[in-house]
Amino acid sequence: MFLVRSCTRLARSRASYCAQSHLLKDGTKLNSFSKSDYSSDVTPPTDQIPAVRASSSIVRQKLLEFGDYVAECLPKYVQQVQLTYTNELEVMIDPEYIIPVITFLRDNTLCQFTNLSDLTAVDVPTRPCRFEIVYNFLSIPYNQRIRVKTYTNELTALDSICEVHPGANWYEREVWDMYGVFFRNHPDLRRILTDYGFDGHPFRKDFPLTGYYEIRFDDEQQRIVRDPVELAQEFRKFDLSSPWEVFPNYRQTPELPSPPEVSSEEEKK
Amino acid sequence: MASKMTTGLVGLAVEAYPQKKLKILYENILKTVSAMPSSAVYRKYTETLASQRLKDIKETPDLVQLEEKWGAGQLEEVIEQAKSELTLARKMNKWKPWEPLVTAPPPGQWDWP
Repeated sequence: MFLVRSCTRLARSRASYCAQSHLLKDGTKLNSFSKSDYSSDVTPPTDQIPAVRASSSIVRQKLLEFGDYVAECLPKYVQQVQLTYTNELEVMIDPEYIIPVITFLRDNTLCQFTNLSDLTAVDVPTRPCRFEIVYNFLSIPYNQRIRVKTYTNELTALDSICEVHPGANWYEREVWDMYGVFFRNHPDLRRILTDYGFDGHPFRKDFPLTGYYEIRFDDEQQRIVRDPVELAQEFRKFDLSSPWEVFPNYRQTPELPSPPEVSSEEEKK
Repeated sequence: MASKMTTGLVGLAVEAYPQKKLKILYENILKTVSAMPSSAVYRKYTETLASQRLKDIKETPDLVQLEEKWGAGQLEEVIEQAKSELTLARKMNKWKPWEPLVTAPPPGQWDWP
C-alpha cells in the first residue's frame, strides 16, 4: 500500500518534471517542486525543514546540554567535557573504561552514535601519557557528531572497540602501525600500511623523517637490497620557534625562577 | 494483517504488533533500571522516557499518529532502539557508572597544545 503510493508519487513528480523542462524551452519560469507533486496526506519536506542553519548560539547551547547529560550519566568515566571553537563536542574519558562509554553512546536512545566515522591518535611527546586516542562518532537519527578522547603511553594497552564497532578493526590496526599503541582483544592486530619487516612507528614524533632503512635494486646482485640510511651531510639544527605568539588562548604564564637566596654571611662581606 | 507491506529499510521486517512488543520492552527496561540507585541520572532519564512512551502507547492506538508523536522513525526502528536500550541497561547494572570518577587525568593531559 505504502510502496504503491510512493511509486505513484515518484511517477507523478517525474511527469511534472518533464512538463516543466518542456515548458522551459518556451520561456516560462522555472518552477521547483510544488505542493501538487505530493499526494495530499504527505507534507512536502520543505514544510518541515527550514533551509536555514540553526544559529550558532542555539547549537552551542544544545551541545552543552547534551555534553552535560553524558557526563552526568557516566560520572565514573568522564573526566572532562568541552566544546571547541567550531562547536564540536569533545568528551575526555578514562582509558580503562572505553568500552562502557562507547557502548552507552551507541545504545542509549538519546545518543545513538551508531557510526564510527574515524579513529586516530595524536602524539605529544612532552606529556606523561604521550598518545591521545581520538574517536569520532556520528549519530544518524539525530544528525549529531561527538568526539571521544582518551590517552595512553607506549607501554599501556587500550581496550579494542571492535566488539562494539566492527568498523574499528582497520582503524586500530592503522593506529598500531603508525603510533605503536597496543589494543587489547583485537581480533587481528597486524601492521596495515607499512612494508614487511618495517622497523618503528612512522607517525611518532621521534621517528626520523628519512626512516631507518632505504631500499634499492642492486644491479650486481640482481635483487632488492635493504641498507641503513646514510646521510651525506651532518644533521643541522634549525631554530623553528616563531617570534609571534601562535595560540594566545592557550598562553601559559612562564614560571619565574625564584630569586636566589642571599645568605647573611655574603651580605656581611 | 500488517499495517504496511515494507519498512523500506534493508533487513528490517514489518512488525505485526509493534505496540505489544514495545510495551514488553519498555516494561522490561523499567524493571531493569529500578535496580539502580535512585540518585543515578541514567535511571532518572531512562525512567521518564520509558514511562512516557508507555503512556503514549496506551493513549494513541493509531500507529501513524504514534510514529509522528515520537518522531523517531517507524515503530520497527523504535523497537530496535528499545532493544539496545534494554541490553545497555543490563550492562549498566554491572558497570555501575554512577559512582564517582575513578582516575583523575595526569596533570596537563588535557591542556592544549
